[in-house]
Amino acid sequence: MTGFATWLEGSAIAVWTRESPSIWAYPTVLTLHTAGLGVLVGANAVIDFTLLGFAPRLPVLSLAPLYRFMWGGFAINAVTGVMLFASDATTKARQPVFYIKLTLIALALVVTAMIRRTVDRGPALRAAGSGPGPGRRLAALSLLLWAGAVTAGRLMAYL
Amino acid sequence: MNAFVVWLESTTLSRGIVHYRWIWPLCEIIHFIGLTLVVGIAGFFDLRLMGFMKRVPVSAARDLMPLAIAGFVLNLTTGALFFIGTPHQYVGNVAWWAKVFFLVLAGLNAMFFETTVGARTMNLGAGDDTPRSAKIVGAVSLVSWLGVLYWGRMLPYLGNAF
Repeated sequence: MTGFATWLEGSAIAVWTRESPSIWAYPTVLTLHTAGLGVLVGANAVIDFTLLGFAPRLPVLSLAPLYRFMWGGFAINAVTGVMLFASDATTKARQPVFYIKLTLIALALVVTAMIRRTVDRGPALRAAGSGPGPGRRLAALSLLLWAGAVTAGRLMAYL
Repeated sequence: MNAFVVWLESTTLSRGIVHYRWIWPLCEIIHFIGLTLVVGIAGFFDLRLMGFMKRVPVSAARDLMPLAIAGFVLNLTTGALFFIGTPHQYVGNVAWWAKVFFLVLAGLNAMFFETTVGARTMNLGAGDDTPRSAKIVGAVSLVSWLGVLYWGRMLPYLGNAF
């Protein structure tokens, strides 16, 4: 792991991200990571809070286009996240909170995919007379996991 | 302005924010959670006003807005604590004033919406298009909030904060 981190930190993209004086290097990569976070976690929040009953007149199925925004935000953050990690790999690879963040994101993605299936089956579930129970529990879990990922990410700058 | 900064930094609250090392990271975490609520909830409503996601009934989408306001209150509070803690790094900072400009723009735009166009969009249901005025208000709002985010994140790089 240490050898890989050292190699990554010396790669051309890592050196550019870290050392270029250009505003398009580290500052822009970091800002895109924040904007991507806002879109990804924010779009998740819209669906989660709707499933939790905060907007009873809002049909969950009509929110399906938000998944495209989520994946867009996730794609931006995967790319910028790799760049930010590479730029300081030997330090970040030794931070326990970094692995906590990755674990929380992985779990959040699984829950998000499970919610998507629940959303798609929404009309069938209602027709069968079962309530929005499982959707609610998943939505609460999703909010906790994404908030946890944001918290762990923020703590990487301080721990 | 300078006398104000000196006075603010002499207050117990300002000294406490800097002295207790956990306060700043905690506020940063809350500031980012609030950011996701504002960008997500308000951004979603803005997109519907702009004419995207037409299957969403406008008034139903608005039911989520208290969450965006809650996120804004979190960020106004934590933002005020950042300012009270270290006012010197903000008052002369171009990026901070740009952030404030977009905050004011977002606020005035929301007030304009509430007092004029807003009422006419509330009876729009699934499939209905929004009037051009609502599309403009939605676009101004979205650009404003992304401007707030951009200049906030750029504080250390375009404004020499921290």
